[in-house]
Formats: sequence, structure tokens, C-alpha cells
Amino acid sequence: MSEHDVERPEAALERRTRKVFDASVEQLDAGTRARLRAARQAAIVELESRQRPARQGWVPLAVAASAALVAVLLWRAPAESPVPVASSGATQAIDALEVVAAGDDLDLVAEDLEFYVWLEHAELDGHGGGQG
Amino acid sequence: MMGPATLEVPMTQLPADLEYSCREEASLDAAETLDHFLASVERPAFRIAQMALRDRDDALDVVQDAMLHLARSYGHRPGAEWRPLFYRILYNGIRDKQRRRTVRSRLFGLLPGSRADENEPREDPLERVADGAPGPDRLLMADQAMQRLETAVAALPARQQEAFALRCLQGMDVAETATAMGCSEGSVKTHYFRALQSLRATLGEVY
Repeated sequence: MSEHDVERPEAALERRTRKVFDASVEQLDAGTRARLRAARQAAIVELESRQRPARQGWVPLAVAASAALVAVLLWRAPAESPVPVASSGATQAIDALEVVAAGDDLDLVAEDLEFYVWLEHAELDGHGGGQG
Repeated sequence: MMGPATLEVPMTQLPADLEYSCREEASLDAAETLDHFLASVERPAFRIAQMALRDRDDALDVVQDAMLHLARSYGHRPGAEWRPLFYRILYNGIRDKQRRRTVRSRLFGLLPGSRADENEPREDPLERVADGAPGPDRLLMADQAMQRLETAVAALPARQQEAFALRCLQGMDVAETATAMGCSEGSVKTHYFRALQSLRATLGEVY
């Protein structure tokens, strides 16, 4: 037997203790294994819950950015519209409706009816007396 | 003095019996990879914690906490780094439990009627309250060789226990063990050597 065939005492101890330890790990009861499995599942859920906000964090951000973009476009759209707003009959009807709905003094409207007739004609003719 | 070892472990140094491989890891998502890793370490980790704490429920608690902590704080890190990190967290939990026990034991020692004999080994009184009959943990320790090993390891200083459990029982290399213990590789070698000497003296006739 050569010198190399003789196992060092420390190496023998390591081998034996590892064997005993591995056997004890294999002999764990079902209850302990189940609790370890449950603990593992809880850790996986924890990891997934940590990753989810990071992945989904872009969704509300994108929605907010889109909403802001739409709001800006809508706000700027009337100013760039080629349709003359003041000359539209539909717009005037809506304006009248707004006056009624806003509860303005209807007596004043009746008294100055001639004024409003003049105003309408002046706007149609392009004289612009109404805005000033 | 050497600093803590790097966390990067070459693939060639990974133990052959590791239940996941780094090649497979690339195709799995993080949750699956973590699941595989934890499945590979949960039972030995529990046994190591049980050896240190001598209590099944406390051991389960620290293993569960270590798993959660790893997932929460290091789940995004490469899988090759998890093992030393996991055991580092586990031993922090074990030490925390032991500290609490010591404090609790001292508090109980101050109560009237407590045993005042300083020569008797210190024991946590609460350990005696819960288990009237032999519990599952005692049944698991039926193997006499394991019981002797547990007793001998429990008698070692804490750092020697860690070095022995990680180097011998978990098969970690010196660099990984140093990372897990948060010390230099030289310290690992010293602790491990002393642990082996003590265990040889204690278990030599049996093993």
C-alpha cells in the first residue's frame, strides 16, 4: 500500500461526517419538507411581486403621457381650425342656448333686441362692431 | 488583510451535484431559477440551522426568512451568487436567534425561583415548555451518528461551526465560504482547520 492510499484522518472525518449529514437530509420527514416547500413558494411569490411593479410601471406612465398628449392636441386644435367659428349658424344657436342656460337677464335681451339684430348684421358684413 | 472574496464563481467550480446548471439558467426566468436553487439548498440549510439552533421550528423560521430575504434583496442578482449570499443571510438569522435566546435566558434567570447554579450548562427554559413529549425533531435525530455529530458541532465556537458546515457539509470552496461568512479566505482556513481538529478529538473514536 502506497503512502497516497492512506487516507488522512481529516479527510476520513470529512467523508464520514458528510455521509452522515447527507443521510439525515434525505431522512427529513414529510411535514418538514412541506413547510420548506411552502417557504420556497412564498419566496417565489415575493420575487414575482417585486418584479411585477417594475414591468407594469410603464403602463400607467404611458397612459398618463397619452392623456396629456390628447389634452394638448384638443386644446390647440380650435386655434388652428380653418373653420370660422363666429360665422357659423350652429355656433350662434349654441351661443344663444348658452345665454339661456346661463340664466342671463332675458329682459335685457328683449329690450335691446334691435341692438342684437344690428350686431348680427354688422358681424356678417364684417364690420366688427360686436367685439369691441 | 484580505478583503471578502469576489462573488463571481466560475462555472467549473460549481459542485457537480448542484441541481441546476448555469446553462439551463439562461433559458429559465428568474422565478424558475430561484425555485430550482432554493429546492437544492432548502433541506441541507434546514439541517445546518437545526444543528446550530437545536430546535426544529426555529430552524424552519430562519430558513424561511433567509429565502424571503434572498428573493427580496438579491433575486435580481445572477444565480451563481445566490449560494454564498443565502448562507450568509441564514447565519445572520441563526446568530440573531441565538442572541435573542441568550437575552431571554438571562431575563428568565433574573426571575425569582430560577436556578442559580452557575456550574450547570445554560439552557433556554422555553425549550422545555413546549415539548413535553419527544417531537418530530427528536424522532428525526434517531440516528445516533447524526446525534453525535450535532452534539460535537454544537460544542464548537460559532465561526468554526460555520466554516465546518459550509466547507465540509455543503462542499463550498474557500472563496464561497469566505463570502458567506463575510471574512477573508485565510480566516476560513483557520476556522475550518480548528474545527476539524476539535471534531477529530471528539468524534475520532466513533468516526
